[in-house]
Amino acid sequence: MTNFKSLLQITMIAAALCLNAAPAFSQAVCLPAPRLLTTTPMGGQVGSTVEVTITGDNLEDLDELRFSHPAITAVPKVDASGAPVANTFLVTIAADCPAGLHEARVMSRLGISSSRVFHVGQWPEVLRNKANTSVETAWALPLNTVCNATMTRQAVDHYAFQAKAGQRIVIDCAAKGIDSKLQAVLIVADAQGNDLMVERRGGVIDFTPEQDGTYMVKIHDLTFNGGPECFYRLCLQTAAPDERVPRLPSTESVSSFSWPPIGLPAEAALAEAAPDDPAGDPQQITLPCDLSGRFFPAADVDRFEFTASKGEVWWIEVASERLGRPTDPSIIVQRVQKTDDGETLTDVAELSDIPSPVKVSSNGYAYDGPPYNAGSADINGKLEIKEDGVYRVQLTDLFGGTRTDPGNVYRLIIRRAQPDFSIVSWALHMELRNGDRNALSKPIALRGGATMAFEVVVIRRDGFDGPIDLRMENLPEGVTATGLTIPAGKSRGIMLFTAAPEAPRGLTSAKLLGVATINGESVTREGRVASMAWPVPNAWSEIPAPRLLADIPVSVSGGELAPITLAPAEDKIYEAVAGQTLTIPLAHSRRSEFSGPKISLKTFGAGFEGTPAFDVPLDADASEATFDLAKLKVAPGEYTIAFYGSAVAKYRYHPESVTIAEAVLKTAQDKATAAAAEVTKLTESVGTAAPEDKAALEASLEMAKKQQQAADAEVAAADKNLKTVTAKAAPKDIVDIVVSSPIHIRVQPAAETVQK
Amino acid sequence: MASAFLSKSGIFSLHIARFLLIVAASGSIASAEETPHAPVSFVNDVMPVFTKAGCNMGVCHAKAGGGQNGFQLSLLGFEAADDYASLVKEGRGRRIVPVAPEQSLVLRKATGQTPHGGGARLSRDSEGYAILKNWIAQGAHFETKAEVEFVSLEVQPSRGITPRNSTQQLRAIATYSDGSTRDVTGMSLFETNSEAMAEVNGDGLVTVQDIPGKAAVMVRYQGKAAVFTAAIPLGVEVTDLPPSRNFVDDHVFANLKEIGIPPSPLCDDATFLRRVSLDIAGRLPTPDEAAAFLSSSDPNRREQLVDRLLKSPGYADFFANKWTSLLKNRRDDASDITSNFAFHAWIRDSLLANVPYDQIVRELLGATGTVVANPPVAWYKRVKEPKDQLEDVAQLFLGVRLQCAQCHHHPFERWSQDDYYSLSAFFSQVGRKPSGVQGEDLIFHKRGVATATNVRSGIALKPAAFGDDVGEILPDQDPRLRLADWMSSPENPFFAKALVNRYWKHFFNRGLIDPEDDIRDTNPPTNPELLAALEKHFIESGFDLKDLVRVMTTSAAYQLSAEPNEHNLVDLQNYSRYYPRRLQAEVLLDAIDDLSGVRTTFANLPPGTRAVGLPDNSYNRSSEFLRVFGRPDSTSVCECERVQSSSLAQSLHLINSSELKNKLTSSTGRAAKLLASDSALEDKVRELYLTAFSREPQSDELRFAVEYVNAPLEDAAGKPVPEAQAKRQNMQDLIWALINTKEFLFNH
Repeated sequence: MTNFKSLLQITMIAAALCLNAAPAFSQAVCLPAPRLLTTTPMGGQVGSTVEVTITGDNLEDLDELRFSHPAITAVPKVDASGAPVANTFLVTIAADCPAGLHEARVMSRLGISSSRVFHVGQWPEVLRNKANTSVETAWALPLNTVCNATMTRQAVDHYAFQAKAGQRIVIDCAAKGIDSKLQAVLIVADAQGNDLMVERRGGVIDFTPEQDGTYMVKIHDLTFNGGPECFYRLCLQTAAPDERVPRLPSTESVSSFSWPPIGLPAEAALAEAAPDDPAGDPQQITLPCDLSGRFFPAADVDRFEFTASKGEVWWIEVASERLGRPTDPSIIVQRVQKTDDGETLTDVAELSDIPSPVKVSSNGYAYDGPPYNAGSADINGKLEIKEDGVYRVQLTDLFGGTRTDPGNVYRLIIRRAQPDFSIVSWALHMELRNGDRNALSKPIALRGGATMAFEVVVIRRDGFDGPIDLRMENLPEGVTATGLTIPAGKSRGIMLFTAAPEAPRGLTSAKLLGVATINGESVTREGRVASMAWPVPNAWSEIPAPRLLADIPVSVSGGELAPITLAPAEDKIYEAVAGQTLTIPLAHSRRSEFSGPKISLKTFGAGFEGTPAFDVPLDADASEATFDLAKLKVAPGEYTIAFYGSAVAKYRYHPESVTIAEAVLKTAQDKATAAAAEVTKLTESVGTAAPEDKAALEASLEMAKKQQQAADAEVAAADKNLKTVTAKAAPKDIVDIVVSSPIHIRVQPAAETVQK
Repeated sequence: MASAFLSKSGIFSLHIARFLLIVAASGSIASAEETPHAPVSFVNDVMPVFTKAGCNMGVCHAKAGGGQNGFQLSLLGFEAADDYASLVKEGRGRRIVPVAPEQSLVLRKATGQTPHGGGARLSRDSEGYAILKNWIAQGAHFETKAEVEFVSLEVQPSRGITPRNSTQQLRAIATYSDGSTRDVTGMSLFETNSEAMAEVNGDGLVTVQDIPGKAAVMVRYQGKAAVFTAAIPLGVEVTDLPPSRNFVDDHVFANLKEIGIPPSPLCDDATFLRRVSLDIAGRLPTPDEAAAFLSSSDPNRREQLVDRLLKSPGYADFFANKWTSLLKNRRDDASDITSNFAFHAWIRDSLLANVPYDQIVRELLGATGTVVANPPVAWYKRVKEPKDQLEDVAQLFLGVRLQCAQCHHHPFERWSQDDYYSLSAFFSQVGRKPSGVQGEDLIFHKRGVATATNVRSGIALKPAAFGDDVGEILPDQDPRLRLADWMSSPENPFFAKALVNRYWKHFFNRGLIDPEDDIRDTNPPTNPELLAALEKHFIESGFDLKDLVRVMTTSAAYQLSAEPNEHNLVDLQNYSRYYPRRLQAEVLLDAIDDLSGVRTTFANLPPGTRAVGLPDNSYNRSSEFLRVFGRPDSTSVCECERVQSSSLAQSLHLINSSELKNKLTSSTGRAAKLLASDSALEDKVRELYLTAFSREPQSDELRFAVEYVNAPLEDAAGKPVPEAQAKRQNMQDLIWALINTKEFLFNH
């Protein structure tokens, strides 16, 4: 294993040159994070072994390519001589691996990379490996095969397939749903390339030809974008006339973290009656109820009627957008009173949208809130019955006025209160530079001595209003996670990941947990983590692509340390008295130069967030933070807080690579010197050699000259590499978020001073 | 008493005092001669004088235009109470002097006795002057006893056959609420829809010119209008008509017979192939298509060609180009690219799939969601205000220009401000939520009762479509869908008419109603029976656009030659021949690319993309050709934004632009390829003619072209140019010459 690993590391140093062919320091904001950007192919057939090539940023010294499911494993590909092939792995998908999307990541020098989805499916796979941008160069694609490809910029990819008259073929293309930047346009054309059917909204084309023959599938980006980031998986599946063909899977939207409620059966107990009748009679239901239906056809209005008694309280939840549908459900509840000439309807409640618990970004250039909407266009609202009677729920899709898509399904639940909650988390971002959103897509790859903050947001269900403690399980050695509780009635908490400076290199798959007391019982709910599919250096030109991650890997690099660690001077609980002043001494551990003399810090943690921002010097080894507890009105109790701000470090990228490169150069130079000496020596020998030895010596001289040339070339290459890594390792101003280690505080009540 | 008023400072009290004095005096001073028995009505008598004299026009005293020197009247006299106040109560009361009516400023200015920027508008012996003077003398009342209301206007005659170079006197008859009528010819305004065909003077005398066809004269009086339609026959006996192929021909030929214009004969196959390919698919036929079509003897080849073209993506591209421009698919910011491409593609795909027209409009009007998930939402990104939404919808889909009615009653139409705001109410419940995309909103139906407030009356109006009641719209019903329902109803008098007229103009180069988006009672169609039949057919077909195109292009009327006969050169509106038209900017560029063999490249689009397939206006910035030849910038719903007129810049561009030169001299171009080919020079010339004109060269053309290409050349110093170079240059010149022919530049 050791041999294998060192072999791999040596190879990966060379490979890093290739991986960093893009500007190594494209980020002037945020310290370099390892990012896996593409895998080729983007998936494989269950039970097969696939050769996968990767590209990414800031990836060197790769330990492994790992997947979120243990049934997918990878080993580096080796060539005939046993040497690893750069950035290439053999991925084995076990026969029992569940079909669907999994996450691929690499463990690199800086730790675990960001992820790319990897689709495990049932069909054989092919990789399109030559240009097919014309009818003449169309790639022949067998049916029931998945084709992996990347889009050429300003071009249309052509695939030819054979079909028989009456044969139903469902054409699907996965792109956005597998992290691609491609906005796929699917076209079915005749053999000459004339368009027959077009789909641009991410849907499938259901094609049944009228005659046998050759047909084409053409694919392009909506705006003819292309390049390695615009990858796709195309599949032409045959199907029986009435068969329901599942779509190629997609990643989950952030909003879907709050679905389903715990304990909800996979299938609804009840189905919508007369689902295709847009204006039929109301369907009679009894409460509670769990029903599935669909917004179909266009402008569908589904009505459900039930009897309820005064004083009853019901909670109504609808899922459709969270099921991945482009819908916006809306509910009107009306009281129905029969009259002689019909009925009178009185509005009782109007329910629409689960609001985001925190302010969502306005998409301006400046950062003014996370571009993650934890809310949803779905519904979760309360219905209080004020009078006995008959009530009607009218459910519509506010986006459905003109769209006729039987796939726009929903699930309607009307239940008595089942207080609960769901949590979701994402990397904290703050304004570092206009337009930048890089921090939002960072993996949890910790440098020793660093603290990384994640925002944790809760969707509360059915009136649950209590505090929620936040925890992590299964962290690497030397890493602690401190959850700053989501207070009662509030929506936001913070999770702090802190790696000790001496924490060894490590990687685990962690769990995010929220713990609360509901109806007197402790309830634990597992949370999800969201990220952006791509780094967003300029929010103006990049449409953010937020999604949920399948898992939460946490790593420590074990090599590189944070530029600065801000920590309480002592590892203890700081005691304070309500109404008095509290001073926390801070210790600074600096490992880098900084641009600017100070950092402005704000405070995380319930009770202390009102603390005005304060400055601490960046060139000192210690500082203090002082709190006026009277002004903050901090009640007696235990608190955990942390400080955060931004600082511009003079960061050096991988300075060790310079030492390695110098050593490599020195070795090459020594070899070249020796080779030159050998040539000199042999040249002299040839001059003085006896005639019978001359021929042999001349042959040796020729060989020595060749070796000298090779050695010189090695020197040139090593010299070039040294220059490259030296340039990369030169100090560069990079602004990033700095978060202190957590600080624990106990506030005692003020001593009673008034005598009764 | 007067002093008590005067003691109150201010103009108004001064005015009242003065007015009272006048009123008090009038009873004793006014003589019988000065005060006729018939009471003069402000509304029925005085206001028409102002309108007739043009006082309330925009540039004069209309409030909408600012009102010269503070004298403000409602535009064209739609607001009587306001005008009365302006005349009698404002201007420090000096506009009216009842004690000495002739000294009233209003009369002195109108007659030019006092300097008047608008000049003398009334003579002292005119009827209008007498009316004003008598009204003032009677006390300048707003209402008279037993005031009657003006109910309707009639023009006599309302239609007739009027020989060329003759005259026709019109009479305008007003009918009042008590059933009485009055000849108001003298106080009416007359306006012709075609000066070239019929002129009309202020007294209603129509002078018909020598162009045959239909001319209309609009008569306006007090906010109402009536129309006289003149059929002006040429009077030639029409005996030789092509066989009728469908109802289009029945109506076109019936009209030609009625007015006596003999049509040109049917065009030949080559002309038809080129014409219909350009009109349906916006492109020249390929040489192979031309050769195949010309050699076909199938009696149904023309119909089959139309079907082939309608199935081709070229049809969808060409008509998407037309519609996206009208729907303002405009790129103002680089980030608009996604929504613009999506919107263009939606139109193009809908046309390709032949989605019924009413369904396309419904999807546009009722769009909800995000642009990428539902591209018609992009229209709401581009057209944000309900005011703009209703105006665009009215003009584009209903052919009604409603802009005027936002501020005042429509001058030529029956549309009031209430009509305007009740139409705007359909768009009052368009909800917006921020989306994940910069500059884009999610569009949804915002629950609530739809209303829009008439800014003038302050009354909140419920949705109504041009006065039609669309029924109660419940708070959770999207009013836009109700508007779409109303539009696509078979009884709708605007929706189908506007479309068939627009498409008719596309294929016949003049709308049955022209301009095509100005449908009103006062702009009658030249062939109402044909328009009605097309409308009926379109509705019955289920708003099938391809079928409509098929009906028009397979008609014999469409296939008439553009060559005039000895009679019909003067005909400009009866379709007795095909009216030639210069190829529009995109089509011409593509045609030049086809002939030169060098395609223009466009940013962000795959090589080979044709100009008719461009998704938005942004390419006008990079292509001087498109700008010079009038490609619209997608700022207006009016087809008139496309400039089809000629200019010197166009000529120079075709003669000497580097763009054209580069195409001709390109090493990958047609000239280079032809020269490199082994085929006979005659065949090469044939290829050029088939590409440019879809026909074989005539024998003299062929001979001349061959001689030209083979001709030796000398350089500037008089030295012979090497043969290969001379041939290359001559071939390029030949293509240049073909491009610069009218036969190439026009669809004919």
